[in-house]
Amino acid sequence: MKIRARFEKLQQVKYISHLELMTFFRRAFRRAGIPLAYSKGFNPHVLLSLSPPLKVGMTGRNEYFDLELSDEIRIENFITLVNGELPEGLQIMGAVNIPEKTKPLMAVINTAVYVFDMIFSSNIQREEEMINKFLAENSIIITRQRRNKKDIELDIRPLISSGELIEPGKWKFQVQCSSQGNLRVEEISKTLADYFTEVKFVPVINVEREGLYVKIGADLYNPFDDIVIRELR
Amino acid sequence: MELAEKLEKVLYQATNPVRYIGNEWNIIKKEWDKKKIKMALAFPDLYEIGMSHLGLKILYHILNKEEDIICERTYAPWHDMENLMRSEEIPLFSLENKRPINEFDVFGFTLQYEMSYTNVLNMLDLAGLPIYAKDRGESYPLVIGGGSTIYNPEPIAPFFDLFFIGEAEAGIVNLIHRYKELKAKKLCREEILIKLNKLPGVYVPSLYLFDYSEDGKVLKTEPVCTGVKEKIKRQVISNLDQAFYPTKFLVPFMDIVHDRAVVEIARGCTRGCRFCAAGISYRPVRERSKETIIKLADEIIRNTGYEELSLSSLSTMDYSDIADLVKTLSTRYLDQKVSISLPSLRVDCFSVKLAEEVQRVRKSGLTFAPEAGTQRLRDVINKGVFEEELYDAVRAAFEAGWSTIKLYFMLGLPTETSEDIDGIVQLAHEVLNIGRKIRKNSRRKMKPIKVNVSVSTFVPKPCTPFQWVRMISKEEIEGKQQYLRNNLKKKGIAFSWNDPDLSLLEGVFARGDRRLAPVLESVWKKGSRFDGWNESFSIENWQESFSDNNIEIKEYLRRRDPGETLPWDHINMGVSKGFLQKEYDAALKGELTEDCRSAGCTGCSICFELGARLELIGGEKDEN
Repeated sequence: MKIRARFEKLQQVKYISHLELMTFFRRAFRRAGIPLAYSKGFNPHVLLSLSPPLKVGMTGRNEYFDLELSDEIRIENFITLVNGELPEGLQIMGAVNIPEKTKPLMAVINTAVYVFDMIFSSNIQREEEMINKFLAENSIIITRQRRNKKDIELDIRPLISSGELIEPGKWKFQVQCSSQGNLRVEEISKTLADYFTEVKFVPVINVEREGLYVKIGADLYNPFDDIVIRELR
Repeated sequence: MELAEKLEKVLYQATNPVRYIGNEWNIIKKEWDKKKIKMALAFPDLYEIGMSHLGLKILYHILNKEEDIICERTYAPWHDMENLMRSEEIPLFSLENKRPINEFDVFGFTLQYEMSYTNVLNMLDLAGLPIYAKDRGESYPLVIGGGSTIYNPEPIAPFFDLFFIGEAEAGIVNLIHRYKELKAKKLCREEILIKLNKLPGVYVPSLYLFDYSEDGKVLKTEPVCTGVKEKIKRQVISNLDQAFYPTKFLVPFMDIVHDRAVVEIARGCTRGCRFCAAGISYRPVRERSKETIIKLADEIIRNTGYEELSLSSLSTMDYSDIADLVKTLSTRYLDQKVSISLPSLRVDCFSVKLAEEVQRVRKSGLTFAPEAGTQRLRDVINKGVFEEELYDAVRAAFEAGWSTIKLYFMLGLPTETSEDIDGIVQLAHEVLNIGRKIRKNSRRKMKPIKVNVSVSTFVPKPCTPFQWVRMISKEEIEGKQQYLRNNLKKKGIAFSWNDPDLSLLEGVFARGDRRLAPVLESVWKKGSRFDGWNESFSIENWQESFSDNNIEIKEYLRRRDPGETLPWDHINMGVSKGFLQKEYDAALKGELTEDCRSAGCTGCSICFELGARLELIGGEKDEN
């Protein structure tokens, strides 16, 4: 049996890294007595995979994992049992049974939505103007720093699909988040700070990942949608 | 601004912020109740080191078990976090309720190695406390210490209000309760300390005076007034099997050094290696029964979800019926995929066979500790390992499929000659040859043979038969290390060694006295912290601090006269000086002393002195 679950990573839990979270989940499942399936071979490991990593310090409202089980379990029981073993801030919000052949999260998720708490605020009209002006650019070139590799010049405009103002001081962007192209949160922060004189660099703790999506054409689906689970091959 | 708010501002800028957030699974977060007595428990090193320490786990739970005690943890912040804390004026805080340490009644440190002493000072300062006990008024928390280096607490004594000498289970709760009682009576600190000093195992350093001779020796230690006990006796528990042991271990978010379930299957070791301080200070050997071990293991695994169970003891393989215990546990947890790990192996085939049984994946190598390169020197240190045993053990390991063997030695042991150093080289080569031969003839696919030779520098420790010997000089250490480097340059052999300066400092502080406290103060003021970490260690800071205080390092490394008063003479670890002297004489003659668990009493006097005895309840001894 395979389960896809949606969880939130808030409060202090935001400081846990991706790998640490994997380990923590694994132990929580074991404590909860979930019938886990293990990989074959000499060093068996739990078959757990997570959606793209969240940066340490950033909260996430709708994160996902896929988990393989060795036995059937009722979804509601799974959620209750596991949540009983998770700390405040880390909770499973929903789960679905998925077919064995469902494409993995990392292969289908390609879009992320981030909400920036801009530290400054002016008024609705002015801020909407700012966002529109920013998105009106045809290209926005930045210098991307890469680990153990040379910096490169990169046009990030094509990686931003939309932006909007939620309320004064709260800006939302929908950006590409996949192996084909990925826009980092700190790159958005830096670009905004460079672009507008009144905007300061927004630290990671002031950004929240609101959701992760599968974009097919112009349509946005969430990883629980039938089309994502059953039709993508 | 609230502390939590300030933390939020800085945490994301620190490396591994998860070190400072608490919130671990099974954390004990009690309501901050004015009526309860509050103790902050500190480990003067990084979170991932401190969280791995078994003693601290026991303390945390044994204190919190008490309704009227709130015990919370704190660890040393890494350099970057310290800078953030100082610039944002965040005091040292507890991980549970995020309270500043100066709001606690007691601030307790566990002291495990000498090179963490600068961190103790830094943590006192970050908490807003004057570092010297004499400068702290009534309003400050009582600063207490315990742990494995306090067979000689003197170099750090002036910073502490009191120490508890011995096993915490034997008196820490009583101590905290008594303090609460005395505080409620509104007695002044001095009166309280005099009363606390009457408790068994409690040592209030300010109640003892030292007298030094002109040539720098300790002449005598004596109580400041009548009614103060002359010696402080180490406290031990009897009946380990019935003793408290926690089962709701904290499960951290971050990958700590020993991230697994631990059951202490026995305490103490009676092999009698003459260099070993733990061998004396954890005596007598007391085992837990198999039934208790299984019960504890079941609970810990259920409460933590850990996938590995470590059977902890100074010498795990000496547990009476270790083979049966290991077999029982590995069968029991097979379905749950919990693996069993053995922290230390004896140099023999029996150990290898057992390791083979539990470690189905040969991921890490096996470690053996012959300690010295020749039979003569191994006899001097009473390490009952024979060359053929070592070869048999490594042969068994290679045949079982391990390709990496780590050999652990010491240099600078008493009576050592160049022949002994060369013996290390010979042994390493022979082990490599054995491995290569087996690999050549093996039908299974084996990785190339690797022999990792790790050679540390011997440091004479208090309360051991070698407590009087001279520690070798920097030049001697470097010469021996150079010889080993030159002669262990071979494909398949890797050689690692310790920084000689660090070993020498450890040597100074292990046998030091109170005159070293100002050195610690000045080196800390120069910015030294985390001295056990290569990237933090600055020998220049230390050299300057010694010379600023007119102290010769050499003075503290010298040979001590058997008749001389030693700075730790007032600490009664239970061992008699006569026994240590006898053992030292035997060492010089190369005579072996047998293990008292099988050969009968060897006369160390610890059982008699501390009112304890060997508790060998782990089943019938195996044939091995």
